[in-house]
This record gives sequence, structure tokens and C-alpha cells, in this order.
Amino acid sequence: MTKPELTPIVERRDVPWRSWAGGLSSALSAVILGLVLRRFATAVPVALGVSVLTFWILNLLPGNAAWSLLGTDATAADAAQLEAKLGLDLPATERYLQWLRGLLSGDLGKSLASGRPVTNLIAERLAVTAELAGLAVLLATVCAVGMALLAARTPLADRVGAIVSMVGISLPNYVLAIVLVLGLAVHARILPSIGFVPIQESPWGNIKSLILPVSALAFPLFSICSRFLRGDLAEQMEREGYILTAKAKGVGPWSVLVRHALRNSLAGLVTIVGLNLGPLIGGAVVIEQIFALPGIGRLLLQAINIRDVVVVQGIVLVIALITVSATLCVDLLYLALDPRIGRGRR
Amino acid sequence: MAAADASSVAVAAGPRFHSVLSLARSSLDIVIPSATLMSIVFACFCLPALTSLPSPVAGRVLESNLPLFSPGHFLGTDLNGNDSLSRLVHGGRVSIQIAFAVNLIGLVLGGTVGALSGYLGRFVDALIMRVLDVFIAFPSLVLVLAVAQGGGGGIANTIWSLSLFSVPAFARVARAATLRIREQPFVDAAVLSGAGAGRIVFRHLVPNIAPQLIIFGLLGIGIVIVIEGGLSFLGFGVQAPQPSWGNMIAQGQQLFLSNPSLVLLPSGMLFLVVLSCNLLGDALRTRWNIA
Amino acid sequence: MEHRVSEAQPISERFAPPEDAPEPATRTPQCVPESTSTRLLEVRDLHVRFQMRGRSVTAVNGLSFGLQAGRCLAIVGESGSGKSVSCRAFLGLLPRSAVVSGSALFAGTELLALTEGQLRSYRGSRIAMVFQDADNALNPTMRVGDQISEAIRLHTGLDRRSARHKAIELLRSLKMQAPEHRIHAYPHELSGGMKQRVMLAMALAGNPKLLIADESTRALDVKTRTDVVRLIEDAKRSRGMALIFISHDLGLAARLADDMLVMHAGSAVEYAPTEELFRHPRAPYTRALLDAMRGLDCDPPPHHTVSCNEIVNGARFSVGCP
Repeated sequence: MTKPELTPIVERRDVPWRSWAGGLSSALSAVILGLVLRRFATAVPVALGVSVLTFWILNLLPGNAAWSLLGTDATAADAAQLEAKLGLDLPATERYLQWLRGLLSGDLGKSLASGRPVTNLIAERLAVTAELAGLAVLLATVCAVGMALLAARTPLADRVGAIVSMVGISLPNYVLAIVLVLGLAVHARILPSIGFVPIQESPWGNIKSLILPVSALAFPLFSICSRFLRGDLAEQMEREGYILTAKAKGVGPWSVLVRHALRNSLAGLVTIVGLNLGPLIGGAVVIEQIFALPGIGRLLLQAINIRDVVVVQGIVLVIALITVSATLCVDLLYLALDPRIGRGRR
Repeated sequence: MAAADASSVAVAAGPRFHSVLSLARSSLDIVIPSATLMSIVFACFCLPALTSLPSPVAGRVLESNLPLFSPGHFLGTDLNGNDSLSRLVHGGRVSIQIAFAVNLIGLVLGGTVGALSGYLGRFVDALIMRVLDVFIAFPSLVLVLAVAQGGGGGIANTIWSLSLFSVPAFARVARAATLRIREQPFVDAAVLSGAGAGRIVFRHLVPNIAPQLIIFGLLGIGIVIVIEGGLSFLGFGVQAPQPSWGNMIAQGQQLFLSNPSLVLLPSGMLFLVVLSCNLLGDALRTRWNIA
Repeated sequence: MEHRVSEAQPISERFAPPEDAPEPATRTPQCVPESTSTRLLEVRDLHVRFQMRGRSVTAVNGLSFGLQAGRCLAIVGESGSGKSVSCRAFLGLLPRSAVVSGSALFAGTELLALTEGQLRSYRGSRIAMVFQDADNALNPTMRVGDQISEAIRLHTGLDRRSARHKAIELLRSLKMQAPEHRIHAYPHELSGGMKQRVMLAMALAGNPKLLIADESTRALDVKTRTDVVRLIEDAKRSRGMALIFISHDLGLAARLADDMLVMHAGSAVEYAPTEELFRHPRAPYTRALLDAMRGLDCDPPPHHTVSCNEIVNGARFSVGCP
């Protein structure tokens, strides 16, 4: 008797581009392209609106950079002189248009305080903030997933998790940061309280200087994520038919949780993280101030304090762009995680 | 069931008390946070009048840095000799006032804008959404910082700057809720039965989006108090010597090792208020069956 | 012996009661007279209670039945009569609030006495279940082929490639078109009939001795329903499986079943071989169901989905049909 020939499996890469069988079909790539284009199309007017708003607010309010730089006992004459030097005597609209023109050629202007190009200032500090925020998001999501999985299996972990996350969303992050700094760094001297060590200098030093700030920044996000995940996993385990099917197949409890339930929660988790990116940036500003990290948040605070309009404009624009790209990434991830969206509907 | 236990206690006390007690027992998740919030508010607003607390800004250097339970200063004093309890209570008053005002403005203005946008739809909706998008894309903290700093700090200024943050947030929630309600058949039914726009809005729309907005407002109080605390902490919000929980924390940092209560007391109060708001919001959410 | 009804003659006429049928003396369900020793599944006095907020609700009240290897039992009844709950009970698939008592012997082993880990080794490999709501019963974020392969690898230990081949073969045997393409699809991309075939493939992957089909044709249109029923029948015959077919559709169940068990509000109302049940229905409820099926001019059984609350209050069905 001849051995039955194994059916050649149509591997995903062999599927013709126009096949309906799933995978990166033309329908899906069209959706992605549409999303990206739409986002960039709306990003431009939004960024423009943001910069106009910033400029308007900063110039409408009393005082300006010249007065701040000179201090409280400056005379009007000195101020006028400095204003002329900094170009602050020109009308607001012209200054804005000047800035806009510079922007189109990639120049974000020069700081009113130090005279250095804004692009350099931002570039130096962006890495620090990016590392801080990136690690915080990573830590928060990983811990949230771990906590939610444990909570789904053990009632004790569920109780503890509920309390911890309730505390986490109620505790302001600067309070947590202060307590951490004063407790662990100043009092117990385990970790450094302020300052930042770049990763090129010393990886271990870099990590040590970031442990406290990242934890303080991640804790509220961790609480929000774990609350969501715990609820979503519980609802799935209780209500969804595919969980019952998996159990009836004989799949073990951990596999049911991770391979079936968690997989369906990931899309929602990504959305939650996306929604909380704004508060995360705000939190980063405060954390950088407390821990004296040389990031763009700290630069922003300093610039606002002395009315360095150009620097503020530059930073605001960068932040707005980052927010738009981050939201786009979140949407793309969501598309990748939830196969019901975007792929050909029957 | 709750009635059965309570009845034995309340047999002599009459039906009114009995039903209140059983109600309280079964809604512990609402009663406890509400009671906490109300007692904190009561303490902050009424305590100075009821007891003779010294002024929060009238401290003498001689009395600076006293520990807890010192005679005459129940919770000690701060760096400048101001009574901590007094500062705590007055600071709380300021923080709560700001939070309440900001959320009220957000609810009224933002709620109206959002509901209108969702209800009128089409062109108006698209326009308002673009404007809201700008505010939402804008890192609100920056906006708030800029306005707060520009206006020179202070209570009124903080309220306005924080409103820039809460109005778009409420508008977004109101719009989403309105859109969801508009899908419902009863709106079509009302329109078909000849009801005017005003009637539809007030009798049908508002009662249905109100619960969500109220819960959002409740949670918003917690959020705004935290943000205001952050602002004051950074030096942008309420200015010294006027106390606010935020700037009390900032001030207390230097003396943490010798007198941790200066940081821990306002932190604890902040935490309690926000926790109660969150717990209450959660409880209401499950009770009113909102996602 | 084929126990099939010819397509031409509708069931109602085939099993029309003789005109001189005697009135049933009692309402007690009769036992199917078979030797107990050869039974694959023997359920005795099964009770399932749910603890809900301090109150106890009985979902299954003293159910007893037996099933021989290779035979088919149909459990029919309205929604809420306890059909699904009873079968899930002896597989340990009920929520934590359920309290199960009684006895369920499978090939000599007492299922209710097994631990969760031991029960898990039975699920899928010895006893498999197919569910009704295929829309919800398949994981929407997992490709269909992976879901079937998961079942295959659990029970046969094949590697990924071979498991995928086996999945394709299974689907092909279940008469699915182009299975080598379909295994890459997600559930929402498939039609109802295809989804049921996937569910069947998952259930058959472990070569079970007993297959429980839990209202698996409810959400389908008539043509697909007949197809699926035929598939189940073929699978049963070719593999020599025993089959429990849970349905609310008497006619459909009669096609497949050797024996029938009629349930109402958690209890067995009638239990007899199919022909016997149709010719000499004993319980008034069964007669009412049959009459409704035949469309006789009689009050249909009150379409009375017995909810748990009503069971608590002791409401039972009583027919007012002459």
C-alpha cells in the first residue's frame, strides 16, 4: 500500500498577494496605508494649531524673556535694549512667521537665554527623557501582565493586586517619588537621589540612577494597566465561549490564560497605554525635576520660568509630534493584534 | 437579608431608621468613601471657625519645626513656625476649592460643548473635534504650566489654567456619551413624535449622559487635586505663603529627616481624598452599570 | 441495523401514535433495559446545584442514564432544562459556584471523584465536547489551524508540522473545501458551517470514545444543519464513538439517536429508545412536545423557559392538554 502523500501545506509566504486567505493581504496593507496617511494629514494642522496656541499664550501673558533674564531690578531701558537684541520688539505675528519659516528649513531657532540652537538643546536631552519614558512603559506593562496573570490564578494575589492598584491610581507620582527619594536615597542611602549617568559612561550607573525615577513614573501606569487587565481577563474567563472550548479540549489552566485569554486582552491594553501617554509625559516632567535628570521636561520647566519662548515652542512641537507618532504606533499595533479589524470581512 | 439583621437592632427605633440602616449596610462601598470625603471637606472648611486655630501664615520663628503633638500645635509647626494643622486645613480648603471649581467649569462648559457637538453632528462636530484634537494633542501640562506661570500663580489663575485641561476632557466624554445615546431608538422616537430639539436635549439626552459625566467629574476632582498639587509643588500654582497641599510637600522636603510629618501629612491627605474619589467613582460605576 | 429515517417520510408520520394507545399509568421515566456492565457511560442520580448569593438553585435534579459504546443518546428539552449543565458537570466544566453530587462512571472510572488534573487528561482525549455557539466558541485572535493543531498536539504529541498536516486531513474528512488554505483563516472569516467543522475537527483530534454535541446546530440554517448532523453521524460510525446529542429539536435528535432522554426543569421526564418514545410516549410533557412537533391542534407546551428563580419557587410544568 502506497504511503499517502502529505498534502503540501500552503505556507503563508506562498499565498498569492491577492488571496483572501489572510496574512498581509492587499486589503490589510491598504488599511494601514490609509491610516498612516490620514494621521499625517491631520497631524500637520494639529501641530500648527498647537504651535500657534503656545505662541499666543506665551506672548499674551505679561512679562517676557528680557525681563526674566535681567531680574527684578532691571530698568525699562535695559529691558528695551535686551528686547531689541533678542528680537522681541518685533510684532508677535512677524515673530511667529519668522519662526515658522525657520521651521520649514529645519531650524527651530535660538534660545533667548543661552543663544544656543534649540535643536541642539533638544537633541542632547531627548535621549534621557526617551530612556526614562520608554523604560517606564516597559516596566509598567510587563509588571501589569504578570500581576494580572497571577491574580487570575490565585484569589490572594487578586486581593493584593486590587489594593495595590487602587493605591497606585490614587497616589500622585510626585508624592511617591518624594517618599522614595527621601526614604531610599537620603535616609537609607541605597540609591542615588539625583543626577543622571549616561549609558555610555557606565551601564550600571545608568541603571542605578534610573531605578527610582522609572519606578515612580511607572507605578500609576502599572496600576491602570493591571486594573484593566484583571477585569478583562476575569470577564473573559467567565463569559467567553472560547475559554470553555479550550478547557474542553483539555488545555491546562495557565495555557488557557496566556494563550487564549491574554491574547485577546492585548489589543485593549495597547489602547489603554496609548490613552495614558499624555499624562505620562506630564509625569516625566515632574519626575525629571525631582530627580534632576537632564531631560527635555526639565528644560521645559526652566524655559517656561524665564519665558524663553523659542525653546518652549520647540519643545512643545517635538512633544506634539512624538504624541502623534506614538498614537499612530498604538493604532498600528492594535491593527496587528486584533484580526477582526482591517482584514477582509466576509 | 440585610433587613433581617437590621430589624433586630432597629425594632425600637422606628421604620425610618431601620431602612436607612439597612441601606447603609448594603451600600458600604458608597458610604465609606462619601463619609471620608465629607469629613475632610467639613474639617477643611469648618474647623478653623469651630476651633481657634492659629492663622496658617502667622508663625513665629521661635516656634519653628516643632514635632507632632506639641502643646498648642497639635500637628507641630513648619519651617517658619506656622501651625501645621492650620496649614493643612487651609491648604485643603484651597486645593478642594480649586478642584471643585475646575470640575464644575469643565462639566458645564465642556459638557455642553461636547453634547452639542455630538448631537448636532456633521460640520459643527467636525470643527469642534479638530479644536479638541489640538487641545488633546497638546501636552496639557505644558499648557497649564505656561498659563500658570504667565499669570503669576495664585488661586484664580490656577483655576483658569486647569480649566483649559478639564474642559476638553469633559467635552470628549460628553461627546462620546451623546453619540452613543443618539444611536438609540428612543431618540428617533422622540423626534418622530414631534419633540423639539430643546425638549429632546433636556428630557432625553441630559438624564442619560448625566451619570457618566458625574462619575467623570468625581474622578476628575481627584485628578485635578493631584495636578494642582503638582503645580504648586513645582512652584507654579498656589504661591507661598498661602498654603496648598502641593507647596507644603515641596517645602517639607528639606526637613524630611528631622520632621517627616511635614511631607507625610499633606501627602496623606491628598492620597485619602483621591482614594475616596476613586472608590466612590468605582462604586457608582458598578451601581449605575456604566462601563 | 440502520437507525435512520428515510428522508421522504417526515418523522411525525413515521412515529405517529397508534389510535388505541393506552393512557400512561404513571409519569415515572422508564429505564432503558440494557445490561449495565457494557455501558461506556453510566450516570446515576446526578445533582447539580448553583450557589448564588447565599441561595441554592438546583439545575439538575437526580438525573440517571446510561450509554453503551457506539450508541447515540439524545437529550432533548427546552432552554434551561439542564441538558448542557448535566454533561458539563461530569467533565468538570462548570463554574466554581456549582456543587455536583451523584455518580458518573466512564468506562468504570468515577469521573466526579477525579481531581482537576486527572479530569483534564480525559477532556478531549476520551470525552470531547462540541458547542453550539460557534461564533463565540472559537478564539477570535487565533488562526483556525492553530486552534485545531493545539488540540492535536495535546493529545498526540506530534510536532507542529505533522499536527498541521493532520489538521488538514481532519478538515478534509469533514468535507471542508480547500482546507490547506482555510487553516490560515481567522474564525470571523469563516461561515457558520465551516466553523462547526472546525469545532468538530478540534473535538475529534484526540480520537475520543465519547462525543457530546451540545446544541451544535442551533445557530445554523436548515441545509447546513443537516450537513453537520450527517458529518457527526459519519464520524460516529467510522470511529465507533458513542454520541450524546443535546438538542431542543426533537425531530433532528430522532434522526441520530438510538435512545432519547427528555428533560424538563432539571429532571428526566422520559427515557426510552427513540421508537418507543415516539410510539408510546408516557409523560404528558413528552406527548405535548410530540404533539407540538406534529403541529396538532392542541395547546403547545407553554413556551416556558424555566428560569432558575422559578425552580427555586418550585414551579413545575403541568400540561393541560387532553
